[in-house]
Amino acid sequence: MSLSGELIAFLGLALVAILGGVLLITLTKVVHMVIALVFTFLSIAGIYMLLSAEFVAVVQILIYSGAITIVMLFGIMLTKHQEREEPSKGRWGKFSLLLAVAGFAVAVYLGIYNLHIPVQPTTLHEENTKQIGIELFSKYVIPFEVMSVLLLVALVGAIVLAKKDDKDEEGDQL
Amino acid sequence: MIQDLLQSTPSLLNFGIFFGLAVLLLFVVLGFVTYGILSERKIMGFMQLRVGPNQIGGKWGLLQTVADVLKLLIKEDTIPKKADKPLYILAPVIAFAPAFMVLATLPFTDAFQFADIGVGLLYYMAVSGITTIGIVTAGWASNNKYSLIGGMRAAAQMISYEIPLVMSLVGIVLLTGSLNLNDIVAAQEKVWFIFLQPIAFIVFFIASVAELNRVPFDLPEAESELVSGYHVEYSGFRWAFFMLSEYVYMFAMATLTTVLFLGGWNSIPFLDFIPAAVWFGLKFSAVFYVLVWIRVTFPRIRADQLMEFGWKVLLPIALANIFLTALLKELFKLF
Repeated sequence: MSLSGELIAFLGLALVAILGGVLLITLTKVVHMVIALVFTFLSIAGIYMLLSAEFVAVVQILIYSGAITIVMLFGIMLTKHQEREEPSKGRWGKFSLLLAVAGFAVAVYLGIYNLHIPVQPTTLHEENTKQIGIELFSKYVIPFEVMSVLLLVALVGAIVLAKKDDKDEEGDQL
Repeated sequence: MIQDLLQSTPSLLNFGIFFGLAVLLLFVVLGFVTYGILSERKIMGFMQLRVGPNQIGGKWGLLQTVADVLKLLIKEDTIPKKADKPLYILAPVIAFAPAFMVLATLPFTDAFQFADIGVGLLYYMAVSGITTIGIVTAGWASNNKYSLIGGMRAAAQMISYEIPLVMSLVGIVLLTGSLNLNDIVAAQEKVWFIFLQPIAFIVFFIASVAELNRVPFDLPEAESELVSGYHVEYSGFRWAFFMLSEYVYMFAMATLTTVLFLGGWNSIPFLDFIPAAVWFGLKFSAVFYVLVWIRVTFPRIRADQLMEFGWKVLLPIALANIFLTALLKELFKLF
Protein backbone atom coordinates (compact mmCIF):
# COMPACT_ATOMS: atom_id res chain seq x y z
CA MET A 1 0.00 0.00 0.00
CA SER A 2 1.51 3.30 -1.01
CA LEU A 3 1.47 6.25 1.32
CA SER A 4 -0.78 8.81 -0.30
CA GLY A 5 -1.98 12.11 1.11
CA GLU A 6 -5.45 10.65 1.40
CA LEU A 7 -4.18 7.80 3.55
CA ILE A 8 -2.30 10.16 5.87
CA ALA A 9 -5.40 12.31 6.25
CA PHE A 10 -7.55 9.23 6.85
CA LEU A 11 -5.18 7.90 9.53
CA GLY A 12 -5.16 11.25 11.31
CA LEU A 13 -8.92 11.65 11.20
CA ALA A 14 -9.57 8.04 12.20
CA LEU A 15 -7.19 8.40 15.13
CA VAL A 16 -8.95 11.54 16.35
CA ALA A 17 -12.37 9.92 15.90
CA ILE A 18 -11.39 6.86 17.93
CA LEU A 19 -9.57 8.93 20.57
CA GLY A 20 -12.66 11.11 20.93
CA GLY A 21 -14.81 8.02 21.36
CA VAL A 22 -12.47 6.50 23.95
CA LEU A 23 -12.24 9.78 25.85
CA LEU A 24 -16.03 10.07 25.77
CA ILE A 25 -16.22 6.80 27.67
CA THR A 26 -13.32 7.30 30.07
CA LEU A 27 -13.68 10.96 31.07
CA THR A 28 -15.67 11.60 34.21
CA LYS A 29 -16.96 15.15 33.77
CA VAL A 30 -20.01 15.43 31.55
CA VAL A 31 -18.88 18.64 29.85
CA HIS A 32 -15.54 17.06 28.97
CA MET A 33 -17.40 14.16 27.39
CA VAL A 34 -19.37 16.49 25.15
CA ILE A 35 -16.17 18.18 23.97
CA ALA A 36 -14.66 14.77 23.20
CA LEU A 37 -17.82 13.99 21.23
CA VAL A 38 -17.33 17.17 19.20
CA PHE A 39 -13.91 15.94 18.08
CA THR A 40 -15.39 12.61 17.03
CA PHE A 41 -18.13 14.33 15.03
CA LEU A 42 -15.63 16.64 13.35
CA SER A 43 -13.26 13.89 12.31
CA ILE A 44 -16.15 11.81 10.97
CA ALA A 45 -17.08 14.84 8.87
CA GLY A 46 -13.48 14.92 7.66
CA ILE A 47 -13.74 11.25 6.62
CA TYR A 48 -16.93 12.03 4.67
CA MET A 49 -14.99 14.79 2.97
CA LEU A 50 -12.26 12.31 1.99
CA LEU A 51 -14.95 10.12 0.43
CA SER A 52 -15.94 13.24 -1.56
CA ALA A 53 -19.35 13.40 0.09
CA GLU A 54 -18.97 17.13 0.68
CA PHE A 55 -22.61 17.85 1.35
CA VAL A 56 -22.97 15.14 3.98
CA ALA A 57 -19.72 16.27 5.61
CA VAL A 58 -20.81 19.89 5.87
CA VAL A 59 -24.26 18.98 7.13
CA GLN A 60 -22.64 16.69 9.70
CA ILE A 61 -20.66 19.66 11.03
CA LEU A 62 -23.64 22.00 10.85
CA ILE A 63 -26.12 19.72 12.62
CA TYR A 64 -24.06 17.48 14.87
CA SER A 65 -21.04 19.47 16.00
CA GLY A 66 -22.82 22.81 15.66
CA ALA A 67 -26.41 22.56 16.77
CA ILE A 68 -26.82 19.31 18.70
CA THR A 69 -23.65 19.63 20.78
CA ILE A 70 -24.48 23.17 21.78
CA VAL A 71 -27.98 22.16 22.81
CA MET A 72 -26.43 19.37 24.89
CA LEU A 73 -23.93 21.76 26.50
CA PHE A 74 -26.71 24.22 27.11
CA GLY A 75 -28.84 21.59 28.80
CA ILE A 76 -25.99 20.31 30.98
CA MET A 77 -24.87 23.77 32.05
CA LEU A 78 -28.32 25.13 32.78
CA THR A 79 -29.63 22.18 34.73
CA LYS A 80 -26.52 21.68 36.93
CA HIS A 81 -26.61 18.07 35.98
CA GLN A 82 -24.61 15.64 38.09
CA GLU A 83 -21.21 17.01 37.22
CA ARG A 84 -19.24 13.84 37.66
CA GLU A 85 -20.03 10.33 36.73
CA GLU A 86 -18.40 7.81 39.03
CA PRO A 87 -16.56 5.18 37.02
CA SER A 88 -17.67 1.67 37.84
CA LYS A 89 -15.02 -0.38 39.64
CA GLY A 90 -14.51 -4.10 39.71
CA ARG A 91 -11.71 -6.33 38.50
CA TRP A 92 -13.79 -9.12 37.05
CA GLY A 93 -16.00 -6.66 35.25
CA LYS A 94 -12.97 -5.05 33.64
CA PHE A 95 -11.48 -8.41 32.71
CA SER A 96 -14.65 -9.67 31.06
CA LEU A 97 -14.91 -6.31 29.28
CA LEU A 98 -11.41 -6.79 27.89
CA LEU A 99 -12.31 -10.29 26.72
CA ALA A 100 -15.46 -9.02 25.07
CA VAL A 101 -13.58 -6.23 23.30
CA ALA A 102 -10.87 -8.61 22.12
CA GLY A 103 -13.46 -11.09 20.91
CA PHE A 104 -15.30 -8.37 19.03
CA ALA A 105 -12.05 -7.19 17.46
CA VAL A 106 -11.19 -10.72 16.28
CA ALA A 107 -14.70 -11.23 14.89
CA VAL A 108 -14.62 -7.95 12.97
CA TYR A 109 -11.10 -8.65 11.69
CA LEU A 110 -12.09 -12.08 10.41
CA GLY A 111 -15.22 -10.67 8.86
CA ILE A 112 -13.57 -7.76 7.12
CA TYR A 113 -10.25 -9.28 6.06
CA ASN A 114 -11.54 -11.30 3.15
CA LEU A 115 -14.48 -9.13 2.30
CA HIS A 116 -14.57 -7.96 -1.29
CA ILE A 117 -16.66 -4.96 -2.14
CA PRO A 118 -16.96 -4.82 -5.92
CA VAL A 119 -16.02 -1.32 -7.01
CA GLN A 120 -17.89 0.01 -9.97
CA PRO A 121 -17.24 3.40 -11.48
CA THR A 122 -20.01 5.82 -10.53
CA THR A 123 -20.64 9.51 -10.91
CA LEU A 124 -21.94 9.86 -7.37
CA HIS A 125 -19.04 12.05 -6.30
CA GLU A 126 -19.65 14.73 -8.94
CA GLU A 127 -21.92 17.57 -7.86
CA ASN A 128 -23.40 15.42 -5.13
CA THR A 129 -25.39 18.29 -3.64
CA LYS A 130 -27.37 18.54 -6.86
CA GLN A 131 -27.79 14.78 -7.08
CA ILE A 132 -29.04 14.56 -3.49
CA GLY A 133 -31.53 17.34 -4.20
CA ILE A 134 -32.86 15.71 -7.36
CA GLU A 135 -33.20 12.30 -5.70
CA LEU A 136 -34.85 13.80 -2.65
CA PHE A 137 -37.47 15.76 -4.53
CA SER A 138 -38.28 13.21 -7.21
CA LYS A 139 -37.81 9.68 -5.91
CA TYR A 140 -38.12 10.14 -2.17
CA VAL A 141 -40.63 12.95 -1.99
CA ILE A 142 -43.13 11.15 0.23
CA PRO A 143 -40.64 10.05 2.92
CA PHE A 144 -39.27 13.57 2.85
CA GLU A 145 -42.71 15.09 3.42
CA VAL A 146 -43.51 12.55 6.13
CA MET A 147 -40.26 13.53 7.85
CA SER A 148 -41.24 17.17 7.77
CA VAL A 149 -44.67 16.39 9.26
CA LEU A 150 -42.94 14.38 11.98
CA LEU A 151 -40.64 17.30 12.78
CA LEU A 152 -43.61 19.66 12.83
CA VAL A 153 -45.38 17.41 15.32
CA ALA A 154 -42.26 17.38 17.49
CA LEU A 155 -42.08 21.17 17.30
CA VAL A 156 -45.72 21.64 18.27
CA GLY A 157 -45.31 19.09 21.04
CA ALA A 158 -42.29 20.94 22.44
CA ILE A 159 -44.19 24.23 22.40
CA VAL A 160 -47.19 22.67 24.16
CA LEU A 161 -44.94 21.18 26.85
CA ALA A 162 -43.12 24.48 27.37
CA LYS A 163 -46.40 26.39 27.59
CA LYS A 164 -47.74 24.03 30.26
CA ASP A 165 -44.69 24.55 32.42
CA ASP A 166 -45.07 28.29 32.23
CA LYS A 167 -48.67 28.24 33.44
CA ASP A 168 -47.90 26.03 36.42
CA GLU A 169 -45.11 28.33 37.52
CA GLU A 170 -47.34 31.35 37.26
CA GLY A 171 -49.93 29.55 39.36
CA ASP A 172 -47.30 28.82 42.01
CA GLN A 173 -46.24 32.41 42.14
CA LEU A 174 -49.78 33.61 42.58
CA MET B 1 -2.18 26.20 -8.86
CA ILE B 2 -3.68 24.95 -5.60
CA GLN B 3 -5.87 22.53 -7.56
CA ASP B 4 -2.78 20.93 -9.12
CA LEU B 5 -1.05 20.78 -5.78
CA LEU B 6 -4.04 19.10 -4.16
CA GLN B 7 -4.03 16.35 -6.77
CA SER B 8 -0.29 15.74 -6.87
CA THR B 9 1.45 12.98 -4.95
CA PRO B 10 2.29 13.92 -1.37
CA SER B 11 5.85 14.80 -0.51
CA LEU B 12 7.70 16.93 1.97
CA LEU B 13 7.96 19.67 -0.67
CA ASN B 14 4.18 19.78 -1.08
CA PHE B 15 3.74 19.89 2.65
CA GLY B 16 6.23 22.74 2.77
CA ILE B 17 4.35 24.67 0.07
CA PHE B 18 1.01 24.25 1.83
CA PHE B 19 2.52 25.18 5.15
CA GLY B 20 4.22 28.21 3.66
CA LEU B 21 1.00 29.39 1.99
CA ALA B 22 -0.97 28.94 5.20
CA VAL B 23 1.62 30.92 7.15
CA LEU B 24 1.53 33.61 4.48
CA LEU B 25 -2.25 33.87 4.74
CA LEU B 26 -1.97 33.96 8.52
CA PHE B 27 0.39 36.92 8.27
CA VAL B 28 -1.89 38.68 5.78
CA VAL B 29 -4.77 38.20 8.21
CA LEU B 30 -2.67 39.34 11.16
CA GLY B 31 -1.70 42.43 9.20
CA PHE B 32 -5.36 43.08 8.47
CA VAL B 33 -6.29 42.63 12.13
CA THR B 34 -3.51 45.00 13.25
CA TYR B 35 -4.58 47.80 10.95
CA GLY B 36 -8.29 46.89 11.08
CA ILE B 37 -8.30 47.54 14.82
CA LEU B 38 -6.38 50.77 14.34
CA SER B 39 -8.75 52.02 11.65
CA GLU B 40 -11.74 51.00 13.74
CA ARG B 41 -10.44 53.04 16.65
CA LYS B 42 -9.64 55.96 14.39
CA ILE B 43 -13.09 55.95 12.74
CA MET B 44 -14.76 55.63 16.13
CA GLY B 45 -12.65 58.52 17.32
CA PHE B 46 -13.67 60.75 14.42
CA MET B 47 -17.33 59.86 14.82
CA GLN B 48 -17.26 60.64 18.52
CA LEU B 49 -15.30 63.89 18.00
CA ARG B 50 -12.13 62.47 19.49
CA VAL B 51 -8.71 62.00 17.97
CA GLY B 52 -8.13 58.29 18.51
CA PRO B 53 -4.67 56.76 18.92
CA ASN B 54 -2.05 59.34 17.97
CA GLN B 55 0.99 58.71 20.16
CA ILE B 56 2.91 55.65 19.00
CA GLY B 57 4.11 55.49 15.40
CA GLY B 58 3.69 59.04 14.27
CA LYS B 59 0.67 61.27 13.93
CA TRP B 60 -1.64 58.43 12.90
CA GLY B 61 -0.74 56.06 15.72
CA LEU B 62 0.42 53.47 13.21
CA LEU B 63 2.18 51.30 15.79
CA GLN B 64 -0.54 51.47 18.44
CA THR B 65 -1.90 47.94 17.84
CA VAL B 66 1.61 46.50 17.64
CA ALA B 67 2.34 47.98 21.06
CA ASP B 68 -0.96 46.59 22.39
CA VAL B 69 -0.16 43.10 21.14
CA LEU B 70 3.33 43.31 22.63
CA LYS B 71 1.77 44.26 25.95
CA LEU B 72 -0.58 41.26 25.74
CA LEU B 73 2.28 38.89 24.97
CA ILE B 74 4.32 39.85 28.03
CA LYS B 75 1.33 39.88 30.37
CA GLU B 76 1.04 37.22 33.05
CA ASP B 77 -1.01 34.22 31.97
CA THR B 78 -3.50 33.65 34.78
CA ILE B 79 -5.56 30.52 35.27
CA PRO B 80 -8.13 30.72 38.08
CA LYS B 81 -7.66 28.12 40.81
CA LYS B 82 -11.20 26.76 40.57
CA ALA B 83 -11.24 26.77 36.78
CA ASP B 84 -11.66 23.61 34.76
CA LYS B 85 -8.03 23.64 33.63
CA PRO B 86 -7.99 21.45 30.50
CA LEU B 87 -11.09 23.09 29.07
CA TYR B 88 -9.85 26.53 30.04
CA ILE B 89 -6.70 25.95 27.98
CA LEU B 90 -8.51 24.27 25.09
CA ALA B 91 -11.30 26.85 24.71
CA PRO B 92 -9.32 29.62 22.93
CA VAL B 93 -7.99 27.03 20.48
CA ILE B 94 -11.49 25.73 19.68
CA ALA B 95 -12.64 29.32 19.22
CA PHE B 96 -9.79 30.38 16.95
CA ALA B 97 -9.13 27.35 14.73
CA PRO B 98 -12.49 27.50 12.85
CA ALA B 99 -12.03 31.23 12.30
CA PHE B 100 -8.89 30.50 10.31
CA MET B 101 -10.39 27.41 8.68
CA VAL B 102 -13.25 29.32 7.06
CA LEU B 103 -10.76 31.47 5.15
CA ALA B 104 -9.76 28.41 3.11
CA THR B 105 -12.77 28.51 0.80
CA LEU B 106 -13.19 32.26 0.40
CA PRO B 107 -12.34 33.45 -3.12
CA PHE B 108 -10.55 36.79 -2.80
CA THR B 109 -9.88 37.14 -6.53
CA ASP B 110 -10.04 34.66 -9.38
CA ALA B 111 -6.38 33.77 -8.79
CA PHE B 112 -6.02 34.22 -5.02
CA GLN B 113 -8.04 31.52 -3.33
CA PHE B 114 -7.23 28.23 -1.68
CA ALA B 115 -9.91 25.55 -1.94
CA ASP B 116 -12.64 25.66 -4.55
CA ILE B 117 -15.17 23.22 -3.09
CA GLY B 118 -18.72 22.68 -4.27
CA VAL B 119 -20.40 23.55 -1.00
CA GLY B 120 -18.26 26.58 -0.11
CA LEU B 121 -21.17 28.63 1.21
CA LEU B 122 -22.45 25.91 3.54
CA TYR B 123 -18.88 25.14 4.60
CA TYR B 124 -18.49 28.68 5.93
CA MET B 125 -21.77 28.49 7.84
CA ALA B 126 -20.99 25.07 9.30
CA VAL B 127 -17.41 25.67 10.36
CA SER B 128 -18.11 29.08 11.85
CA GLY B 129 -20.64 27.38 14.14
CA ILE B 130 -17.85 25.47 15.89
CA THR B 131 -16.53 28.70 17.42
CA THR B 132 -19.68 28.86 19.51
CA ILE B 133 -18.59 25.66 21.24
CA GLY B 134 -15.27 27.31 22.08
CA ILE B 135 -17.02 30.34 23.53
CA VAL B 136 -19.49 28.27 25.57
CA THR B 137 -16.61 26.12 26.81
CA ALA B 138 -14.65 29.21 27.82
CA GLY B 139 -17.65 30.55 29.72
CA TRP B 140 -18.12 27.27 31.52
CA ALA B 141 -14.47 26.52 32.25
CA SER B 142 -13.77 29.93 33.82
CA ASN B 143 -16.05 28.97 36.72
CA ASN B 144 -17.36 32.52 36.99
CA LYS B 145 -20.99 33.50 36.89
CA TYR B 146 -20.45 36.42 34.53
CA SER B 147 -18.56 34.33 32.03
CA LEU B 148 -21.16 31.57 32.26
CA ILE B 149 -23.96 34.04 31.52
CA GLY B 150 -21.87 35.41 28.64
CA GLY B 151 -21.29 31.92 27.25
CA MET B 152 -24.99 31.08 27.50
CA ARG B 153 -25.95 34.27 25.74
CA ALA B 154 -23.39 33.60 23.02
CA ALA B 155 -24.78 30.13 22.39
CA ALA B 156 -28.40 31.29 22.29
CA GLN B 157 -27.61 34.26 20.08
CA MET B 158 -25.36 32.50 17.61
CA ILE B 159 -27.74 29.58 17.13
CA SER B 160 -30.74 31.87 16.73
CA TYR B 161 -29.10 34.14 14.20
CA GLU B 162 -27.44 31.40 12.21
CA ILE B 163 -30.87 30.33 10.96
CA PRO B 164 -31.92 33.66 9.35
CA LEU B 165 -28.33 34.03 8.11
CA VAL B 166 -28.53 30.76 6.17
CA MET B 167 -32.16 31.26 5.15
CA SER B 168 -31.44 34.68 3.67
CA LEU B 169 -28.84 33.09 1.39
CA VAL B 170 -31.24 30.51 -0.06
CA GLY B 171 -32.51 33.21 -2.45
CA ILE B 172 -28.99 33.63 -3.86
CA VAL B 173 -28.56 29.88 -4.15
CA LEU B 174 -31.88 29.71 -6.03
CA LEU B 175 -30.75 32.35 -8.48
CA THR B 176 -27.28 30.89 -8.99
CA GLY B 177 -28.18 27.21 -8.83
CA SER B 178 -24.97 26.48 -6.92
CA LEU B 179 -23.43 26.62 -3.46
CA ASN B 180 -19.99 27.22 -4.91
CA LEU B 181 -18.71 30.71 -4.10
CA ASN B 182 -16.93 30.99 -7.46
CA ASP B 183 -20.17 30.27 -9.32
CA ILE B 184 -21.95 32.85 -7.18
CA VAL B 185 -19.38 35.49 -8.13
CA ALA B 186 -19.61 34.47 -11.79
CA ALA B 187 -23.40 34.87 -11.68
CA GLN B 188 -22.97 38.49 -10.61
CA GLU B 189 -20.97 39.57 -13.60
CA LYS B 190 -23.82 41.77 -14.87
CA VAL B 191 -25.99 42.57 -11.84
CA TRP B 192 -24.86 42.35 -8.24
CA PHE B 193 -27.09 40.36 -5.93
CA ILE B 194 -27.56 43.34 -3.64
CA PHE B 195 -29.90 44.72 -6.34
CA LEU B 196 -31.64 41.42 -7.08
CA GLN B 197 -31.94 40.38 -3.44
CA PRO B 198 -32.25 43.58 -1.38
CA ILE B 199 -34.37 41.94 1.34
CA ALA B 200 -31.91 39.09 1.65
CA PHE B 201 -29.06 41.57 1.93
CA ILE B 202 -30.67 43.45 4.82
CA VAL B 203 -31.49 40.24 6.71
CA PHE B 204 -28.03 38.84 6.02
CA PHE B 205 -26.27 41.99 7.15
CA ILE B 206 -28.19 42.25 10.43
CA ALA B 207 -27.72 38.55 11.14
CA SER B 208 -24.02 38.76 10.30
CA VAL B 209 -23.49 41.60 12.77
CA ALA B 210 -25.22 39.41 15.36
CA GLU B 211 -23.01 36.45 14.44
CA LEU B 212 -19.94 38.64 14.86
CA ASN B 213 -21.06 39.56 18.39
CA ARG B 214 -20.63 43.24 17.66
CA VAL B 215 -22.65 46.21 18.90
CA PRO B 216 -25.73 46.32 18.91
CA PHE B 217 -25.67 42.55 19.41
CA ASP B 218 -22.66 42.30 21.74
CA LEU B 219 -24.60 40.75 24.61
CA PRO B 220 -22.14 37.87 25.19
CA GLU B 221 -19.50 40.38 26.27
CA ALA B 222 -21.67 43.30 27.33
CA GLU B 223 -19.12 45.30 29.32
CA SER B 224 -21.63 47.26 31.35
CA GLU B 225 -23.54 44.19 32.52
CA LEU B 226 -21.15 41.24 32.47
CA VAL B 227 -17.73 42.92 32.92
CA SER B 228 -16.67 41.33 29.65
CA GLY B 229 -18.71 38.18 29.38
CA TYR B 230 -17.22 34.84 28.47
CA HIS B 231 -13.59 35.98 28.60
CA VAL B 232 -13.61 37.73 31.98
CA GLU B 233 -11.05 35.37 33.45
CA TYR B 234 -8.76 35.22 30.45
CA SER B 235 -5.64 37.33 30.22
CA GLY B 236 -2.60 37.81 28.06
CA PHE B 237 -2.15 35.55 25.09
CA ARG B 238 -5.26 33.43 25.65
CA TRP B 239 -7.43 36.52 25.72
CA ALA B 240 -5.69 37.73 22.58
CA PHE B 241 -6.83 34.56 20.83
CA PHE B 242 -10.48 35.37 21.48
CA MET B 243 -10.01 38.89 20.18
CA LEU B 244 -8.09 37.58 17.21
CA SER B 245 -10.81 35.11 16.28
CA GLU B 246 -13.39 37.87 16.56
CA TYR B 247 -11.49 40.05 14.10
CA VAL B 248 -10.65 37.16 11.78
CA TYR B 249 -14.38 36.49 11.62
CA MET B 250 -14.93 40.13 10.83
CA PHE B 251 -12.44 39.77 7.98
CA ALA B 252 -14.18 36.60 6.79
CA MET B 253 -17.67 38.04 7.09
CA ALA B 254 -16.75 41.21 5.20
CA THR B 255 -15.21 39.01 2.50
CA LEU B 256 -18.32 36.83 2.37
CA THR B 257 -20.62 39.86 2.12
CA THR B 258 -18.51 41.18 -0.74
CA VAL B 259 -18.53 37.83 -2.51
CA LEU B 260 -22.23 37.16 -2.07
CA PHE B 261 -23.83 40.55 -2.56
CA LEU B 262 -21.31 42.98 -4.02
CA GLY B 263 -20.08 40.90 -6.92
CA GLY B 264 -16.76 39.79 -5.45
CA TRP B 265 -13.91 40.93 -7.67
CA ASN B 266 -16.18 41.93 -10.58
CA SER B 267 -15.82 45.51 -11.68
CA ILE B 268 -18.35 48.23 -12.45
CA PRO B 269 -18.93 48.56 -16.24
CA PHE B 270 -16.35 50.70 -18.12
CA LEU B 271 -13.97 50.55 -15.17
CA ASP B 272 -12.62 47.07 -15.79
CA PHE B 273 -9.08 48.28 -16.42
CA ILE B 274 -8.71 48.47 -12.64
CA PRO B 275 -7.35 45.10 -11.42
CA ALA B 276 -9.68 42.62 -9.72
CA ALA B 277 -7.77 42.71 -6.46
CA VAL B 278 -8.30 46.47 -6.16
CA TRP B 279 -12.02 46.09 -6.75
CA PHE B 280 -12.20 43.43 -4.11
CA GLY B 281 -10.23 45.60 -1.68
CA LEU B 282 -12.50 48.60 -2.26
CA LYS B 283 -15.71 46.66 -1.69
CA PHE B 284 -14.24 44.88 1.29
CA SER B 285 -13.18 48.17 2.87
CA ALA B 286 -16.66 49.61 2.31
CA VAL B 287 -18.27 46.68 4.13
CA PHE B 288 -15.72 46.98 6.92
CA TYR B 289 -16.45 50.69 7.25
CA VAL B 290 -20.19 50.06 7.54
CA LEU B 291 -19.56 47.46 10.24
CA VAL B 292 -17.59 50.02 12.26
CA TRP B 293 -20.20 52.68 11.56
CA ILE B 294 -22.93 50.42 12.98
CA ARG B 295 -20.82 49.81 16.06
CA VAL B 296 -20.47 53.51 16.78
CA THR B 297 -24.07 54.53 16.16
CA PHE B 298 -26.27 51.87 17.75
CA PRO B 299 -26.99 51.18 21.42
CA ARG B 300 -27.02 47.60 22.70
CA ILE B 301 -30.39 45.86 22.61
CA ARG B 302 -31.91 43.80 25.44
CA ALA B 303 -31.59 40.03 25.54
CA ASP B 304 -35.33 39.38 25.17
CA GLN B 305 -35.59 41.88 22.31
CA LEU B 306 -32.66 40.13 20.66
CA MET B 307 -34.39 36.76 20.67
CA GLU B 308 -37.75 38.16 19.58
CA PHE B 309 -36.12 40.10 16.76
CA GLY B 310 -34.29 37.05 15.52
CA TRP B 311 -37.18 34.60 15.60
CA LYS B 312 -40.20 36.80 14.99
CA VAL B 313 -38.86 39.37 12.54
CA LEU B 314 -35.75 38.16 10.70
CA LEU B 315 -36.72 34.52 10.20
CA PRO B 316 -40.21 35.20 8.72
CA ILE B 317 -38.76 37.87 6.43
CA ALA B 318 -36.05 35.47 5.27
CA LEU B 319 -38.63 32.73 4.61
CA ALA B 320 -40.87 35.17 2.73
CA ASN B 321 -37.86 36.16 0.66
CA ILE B 322 -37.25 32.54 -0.34
CA PHE B 323 -40.90 32.20 -1.40
CA LEU B 324 -40.81 35.47 -3.33
CA THR B 325 -37.56 34.59 -5.08
CA ALA B 326 -38.81 31.18 -6.14
CA LEU B 327 -42.08 32.68 -7.38
CA LEU B 328 -40.40 35.44 -9.36
CA LYS B 329 -37.84 33.06 -10.82
CA GLU B 330 -40.58 30.76 -12.13
CA LEU B 331 -42.63 33.69 -13.44
CA PHE B 332 -39.68 35.12 -15.36
CA LYS B 333 -39.00 31.69 -16.80
CA LEU B 334 -42.52 31.59 -18.26
CA PHE B 335 -42.13 34.74 -20.31
